[in-house]
Amino acid sequence: MGRIRIENLRKNFGAHEVLKNINLDIGEGELAVFVGPSGCGKSTLLRQISGLDQPTSGHIFIDDKDVTGVSAADRGLAMVFQSYALYPHMTVLQNLTFGLQNMKMAKVEIDRRVADAARMLEIEPLLSRRPGQLSGGQRQRVAIGRAIVRDPTAFLLDEPLSNLDAELRVSMRAELAALHARLAATMIYVTHDQVEAMTLADRIVVLRAGKIEQVAAPIDLFDKPANRFVAGFIGAPSMNFLTVEEATPILPTAPAGTALVGVRPQHLDPAETGLDVTVSLVESLGTETVIHATLATGTRILATLPGHVRAKVGEHLKLGGDPARMHFFDGQDQRIG
Amino acid sequence: MTASPKPSIGAVLTAPIVWLARAADMPLRAWQRLTGRGGMIAFFLIPNMAVFGIFVIVPLVINFFYSVTGGTALFLSDRPFVGAEHFDRLLTCTDHFNPTTCREDMFWTAVWNTSKFVVLQVSAMTVVAMITALILNSKIPGKAFWRAVFFFPVLLSPVVVGLIWKWILQRQGLLNFALYELDMTQVNWLTERSWAFAATIGVSVWAHVGFYALILLAGLQAIPGDLYEAAEMDGTKPGRVFWRITLPLLYPNLLVVIVLSLIRAVQVFDEVFVLTSGGPGTATLYLTQYIYEVGFASVLRNPGLASAAALMMGGVLVVLTLLQLGLTRWRDRK
Amino acid sequence: MSVLRMMTARRGGKGWHWTDVFTWAWLIMGLIVMFGPALWLVLSSFKTPAALAEFPPTILPYAAQTVSVTIDGQVKDLPLFTTTLDDGTVRQLAEVRRLGTMATMVDPANPTDSVKVNIQNRTPVRQIAFATSNYVDPLEKNNFGLYLWNSVFVTTMATIITLLTNSMAAFALSKYDFRGRNAVMLLIVATLMVPLSVNLVPLYSVISQLGLLDTLWGVILPTVATPTGVFLLRQYMLTIPDELIEAARMDKASEWQIYWRIVLPLTGPALAVLAIFSVVWRWNDFLWPLIVLSRKEVFTLQVGLNTFAGELNVQWHYILAMTVATMIPVIIVFVFLQKFITSGIASTGLK
Repeated sequence: MGRIRIENLRKNFGAHEVLKNINLDIGEGELAVFVGPSGCGKSTLLRQISGLDQPTSGHIFIDDKDVTGVSAADRGLAMVFQSYALYPHMTVLQNLTFGLQNMKMAKVEIDRRVADAARMLEIEPLLSRRPGQLSGGQRQRVAIGRAIVRDPTAFLLDEPLSNLDAELRVSMRAELAALHARLAATMIYVTHDQVEAMTLADRIVVLRAGKIEQVAAPIDLFDKPANRFVAGFIGAPSMNFLTVEEATPILPTAPAGTALVGVRPQHLDPAETGLDVTVSLVESLGTETVIHATLATGTRILATLPGHVRAKVGEHLKLGGDPARMHFFDGQDQRIG
Repeated sequence: MTASPKPSIGAVLTAPIVWLARAADMPLRAWQRLTGRGGMIAFFLIPNMAVFGIFVIVPLVINFFYSVTGGTALFLSDRPFVGAEHFDRLLTCTDHFNPTTCREDMFWTAVWNTSKFVVLQVSAMTVVAMITALILNSKIPGKAFWRAVFFFPVLLSPVVVGLIWKWILQRQGLLNFALYELDMTQVNWLTERSWAFAATIGVSVWAHVGFYALILLAGLQAIPGDLYEAAEMDGTKPGRVFWRITLPLLYPNLLVVIVLSLIRAVQVFDEVFVLTSGGPGTATLYLTQYIYEVGFASVLRNPGLASAAALMMGGVLVVLTLLQLGLTRWRDRK
Repeated sequence: MSVLRMMTARRGGKGWHWTDVFTWAWLIMGLIVMFGPALWLVLSSFKTPAALAEFPPTILPYAAQTVSVTIDGQVKDLPLFTTTLDDGTVRQLAEVRRLGTMATMVDPANPTDSVKVNIQNRTPVRQIAFATSNYVDPLEKNNFGLYLWNSVFVTTMATIITLLTNSMAAFALSKYDFRGRNAVMLLIVATLMVPLSVNLVPLYSVISQLGLLDTLWGVILPTVATPTGVFLLRQYMLTIPDELIEAARMDKASEWQIYWRIVLPLTGPALAVLAIFSVVWRWNDFLWPLIVLSRKEVFTLQVGLNTFAGELNVQWHYILAMTVATMIPVIIVFVFLQKFITSGIASTGLK
């Protein structure tokens, strides 16, 4: 249980088209991550699924039942908000039980579910506190707990880690992955952080300007980006893009129709022959060195080299690359091959 | 030569102030060299403190002296000491619930009128302000317009408010015309005791409700929208959302509104004075008007008695103000 | 069409819920009850005394139309009536005189030929007319011009002094750390608890000792030390970083310059809010001016209006017009500065 299908979904705010004809199928037990730059419509799409917003046209199915006109409460979904949206005047326990009481659930059952969730999330000692007395990480757990006790068909998570500091974010990310494995429930996770997307997702949905650019497993997304946008968006630092002429020193023959050649910074290394670049900045990070350089044409090139690399600003360097690890895009920025 | 840009109206208007402030710098620099920073602090504080001292603190002290001295003279040295006589006169009653059995029956009439007024006006005000704020906070077109509709009487002067309603409530006024059109009995709004009392409540709610609605509206807008979305996901019924989420979160603001309106209601004077002058008879005689009458207007002028009554009212207000300050702090900390 | 849809499509197009009905009922009632009285006042203020005395009243101001008729060599302005004569014909005739229920009427074109008509058989010919004399007369004859000037003077001076003294005190209390600062703050809180109504009698004697009775300064001075003003400005000044002041000291600015060149300009929004409120407060002040002022020459508009309305011979047409005049400045302030006022109240609870 927990298959979510979206057909021809559109959403307009006035004349502004926020979602343009979205079609998507999320399988049972899958953890799908919506990722994209801010304003791409990923949160809006999540709100359509949750039922907090009504789409302008199109349909949403949960387990093959059309729920487009069904209210948020009756879709059997649970949501974790970016701000957690814990009721500040209620204790943690009251926060967890509020929704269950609304369903007129038997008290025994409520107690059992709360006890289970509290044990799983290790928030038992916090049950009598109010959200104001909790740390960010604890609030996050309570927010997840509030979703778990409802035993939903699917979890919707709207940038759940964005209010945590960097260290906590990494550990919560691991816990979320473990939680998903344990619950085996469908989850839809919205983030703008590609590391979260890559580490958590079964499948990533990349959105831009209200359109789906690509849906794929994380590694496929990295290895075979469907177009120039996805190629540039996934991976850090961003992929280098060269014209066919600029790439000639490292690529004798490009596939027919190639307009643009993409090389990830990690896939460039110093060589006898290759791209002739002038170093403009050297960032030594210890484990690796990021070289900022420019081609004679003025195009900026980034290269991430392992370990310490002795390079000086202004120095000329030759960078080689393996044509097999390059990406080719046509005049419409679509992938070739 | 380039033409100098035309100075703006604002610059022209503030020019004299700027000029004065600049001219003041020289002597003040000298003063600062002479007295150091302490002298400058004194310079900044003294004007305001002087006004506070002369027009608030000194009168307050005189108030206490007045309340224990008799006669109609204003000079303290011309006033004989009478001890607690004024308080005794104000507080002696055979039956405190029946003003006619009191030594100072007017005072107790005013006390009971004010009490009734405070209870009824504050409850009516809170309910109306609350409903209005909830409606102004919902999805309605033209929010700014509707807010203005409910708010604008707040800025009208009490004299204007009193006269507007005197004109509408008079014998041949608009309200009686409306009743006449509806084939209902016409009412002497301002000359029948209970109707006049009700009118003072209605008019003061009309004049001030926008202010309290605005405070509550600000409180409502401060409740994060995603709490309501979380409640929606939780399948909460609208009534339960109000009682379990909106009201508890608005509670601090609601308390501040109630205490603030209590403080104002205890001192009610202006609109009522213009509307009914305390009449008919003593039906709408409230405390401040009693103090005003005894202190200035009445033939039986007695400043000491007025001061004693004012100090008792002041005591109530001090308690309420402390309550308000405490509540405001509590709310802002939350 | 789109407006209608917006008005009728409620709650995701699921039709009208009872709360929607209640909301609109409340708003419409609110419009009538809150706005109606003010509108009625303005409409009434343009009516002639005769029209004001009418029951049932008309909504718009009407005046009887008159016509110049020459009778016995004299030119007279006579009221015009639509008259139904005994033979059933309807004519417009002017009334020459009236005795009981019978009126003597003439045709304006032929004034020598008079008829007697029962007053039940005629209705006055009326047209919409704004009795602007309601406004002009009191300003010219009844001192209202003077009252207006007094009110403007009180409002302006009180506001300027309030802004100056309050901002200076707030500056000292927010930007200097000195012994006794808490005592001063406590004193200001204390004054918050002593409203005018408590201090009426002794304040009167202070004003009288200072020789300020029956002067406008006697009205102005006690009002300028609003503790709320000091609180509001101090709260705002506390948000100005102290580094700015230290930087200014490094630039050899005097303390006075720090106040008026650095802190005051940065306090602009709070000063604007206080200025607006001060103007409205002082314009509307009633109880204190009522006590201090007893000579007509120094009355403010509010006191003058109240006294005028309390006179034995109640001249509603003048009262209503002057009420509108008194209301206009505040309404103008409201229309142009609504944002400032409502946000000021919402954030500070000022009133």
